[in-house]
Amino acid sequence: MSKAVLLPAVFALAAAPFAANALADEARRIVEEAQRRAHANSERYEGTLTVYGKSGKIAEKRWRYDRIGSHGNSKSVIRFSSPAEVKGVALLIVNHPERSSDQWMWTPALERNRRIAMQDRRRRFFGTDFSFEDLEERDAGQYDFRMLGEELLDGIPCWKIESRPKETKTSQYDRSIIWIRKDHYVWWQLENYSREKLVRRAKYGDLENVSGIWTARTVDMSDLREGSHTVLRLEKLDYNVPMKDEQFTLEALRREL
Amino acid sequence: MRAAVLILASVFALTPDAAAQQFAQRGFLDLSAPLYPQSAPNDGGHVLGEALFRYEASWRPGPEWALYGSIDARTDTHQQVDRAAHLSLWDRERARPAFEIRRLSALWHRGPVTVEAGKQFIRWGKADILNPTDRFAPRDFLSVVDNDFLAVPAARLTLERGNNTVDAVWQVRFVPSRIPLFNQRWAVVPQDVQIIDAGARYPGGPQLGLRWNHLGAGYEYSLSFFDGYNNLPFFEPVAQIGPAYAVQRVYPKLRMYGGDAAVPLRPFTLKSEAAYFQSPAGDYALYVVQLEKDIGEWSLVGGYAGEWDRSKTAAADFAPDRGLARAFLGRATYTIDATRTLTFEAALRQTGEGVWLRSEYSQSFGEHWRATAGFTLIRGEPTDFLGQYRRNSHAAIGWRYSF
Repeated sequence: MSKAVLLPAVFALAAAPFAANALADEARRIVEEAQRRAHANSERYEGTLTVYGKSGKIAEKRWRYDRIGSHGNSKSVIRFSSPAEVKGVALLIVNHPERSSDQWMWTPALERNRRIAMQDRRRRFFGTDFSFEDLEERDAGQYDFRMLGEELLDGIPCWKIESRPKETKTSQYDRSIIWIRKDHYVWWQLENYSREKLVRRAKYGDLENVSGIWTARTVDMSDLREGSHTVLRLEKLDYNVPMKDEQFTLEALRREL
Repeated sequence: MRAAVLILASVFALTPDAAAQQFAQRGFLDLSAPLYPQSAPNDGGHVLGEALFRYEASWRPGPEWALYGSIDARTDTHQQVDRAAHLSLWDRERARPAFEIRRLSALWHRGPVTVEAGKQFIRWGKADILNPTDRFAPRDFLSVVDNDFLAVPAARLTLERGNNTVDAVWQVRFVPSRIPLFNQRWAVVPQDVQIIDAGARYPGGPQLGLRWNHLGAGYEYSLSFFDGYNNLPFFEPVAQIGPAYAVQRVYPKLRMYGGDAAVPLRPFTLKSEAAYFQSPAGDYALYVVQLEKDIGEWSLVGGYAGEWDRSKTAAADFAPDRGLARAFLGRATYTIDATRTLTFEAALRQTGEGVWLRSEYSQSFGEHWRATAGFTLIRGEPTDFLGQYRRNSHAAIGWRYSF
């Protein structure tokens, strides 16, 4: 092998880790920028979930979502308002920057709350295609990133980034691939892999600027193992709504009917 | 009683439109029919029909206040429900009341302080299969294996400070658990002996409880104390008339020191609960260790409920909490899809002398309807708590309209 060929190859090999690091840094910068732009001290919406099985629509559910704080340090409450038989059922999610979230479910029929275990989060949330884990906020600090390139998704230029949970993060997913819109730094698609197999795909839609934050008003979550999908529509969405910490405790769960 | 009804009516029926957004309500009409293939010595009935209408509402007149009310109306074909059109507030009737104020309470909340006063539900403990520390939760045990909680008239003060919560309860009036009727199949009485209910001696004093709960980083635990009375009775013979015995229900003093914990681990979640009881009838302890695990759409809970009996006294009592101790307990739920679930439950006494198995299929239709069909199998020795109900295996179908 001539020197003219060998030298560039050696340089390329030596530079490869630096290039990989630079791409990882770039990927993290993009995810963190998306997170920064989505930052709000609180959030409230009324969600309508339509569950579609293999043969069509099988159920519709509605909940109210309240969140205080932001990525990695937030608390949220999801409270069902429909269908009638689950009215009042609530989920409290306490997110932590250094580890997986804590979750408790309030069931009015039992008049008590019940801690949801870490390994329980792969289960479908009330028969929807969202798992308990999918309802957590994804904090950039809990993942490692790798830039996979750029791609047009539905004709929209996106960055394509791979994320892997850090060791401190308990997750059902080994890795995820995120498409982030280049125009507004908004997540536009998410694919979740378990044991290297694609198991869930979230497609975002209906982009709208709400109180200065570009937000996808629909999330279409597909469970590729079951062949079903659930469309979540965010209605009456608002950010930075006045809320208090005391609305996000176990006691607060039982104070509502 | 009349005052309570008036309060309920004024709070919920006359809710001003301006506060309509602060008003919440829900309820259901439930129709069910257990079918027993075998007759019992004291009950020849095979098919029961039961209907329950429940309405719950809450109203928030301001950010710090909330009022809660709930009523039940029910009837059945088997006279487990009182035929008198009487509205019950205190839940001391032997049969289920036809009309009942299930809950009526007012709540005040500011910052870390929550105070609730009135008839309310108070649930303690973290385990799912048996709760020894759940002392303010009497139950309707008319059909022993399908029971429902009863509310208690109490004042409850809750303080939340960071990761710590202190709960102080003062129950002003005793509420007994409702036990099986002597002429019904869930009361197992000796053959050739007639038992006559001679009423009850209810304790007059209040009941007190204190619970401290701590949330740690990925775990939680609590310590609890209760000083009051057992809501499950002893039977005291008061007279004998030929082959008939008149027995009175007596509710002994009970003091409890308890604790519970939940520790989510990677392979499963460990939940445990234990309580030590001091009673004139003898000291004893109950404990539960349970593991939870999800595999796909299966949710599995399994564990062991144990008992430590210091006095080893044999009392004539009705004690399903102790009856389910010394047993392996489990529950498996499979979510088929958004509308259908399948549930299996089991209890197996460690001696093998009693077993209870239940399976249930449930499916919702549209926004409001749900149908259930299930089967309960009970087998065992007549001397065993579960085995004594061996003639009560049954199938059941149910239909519920929720709103």
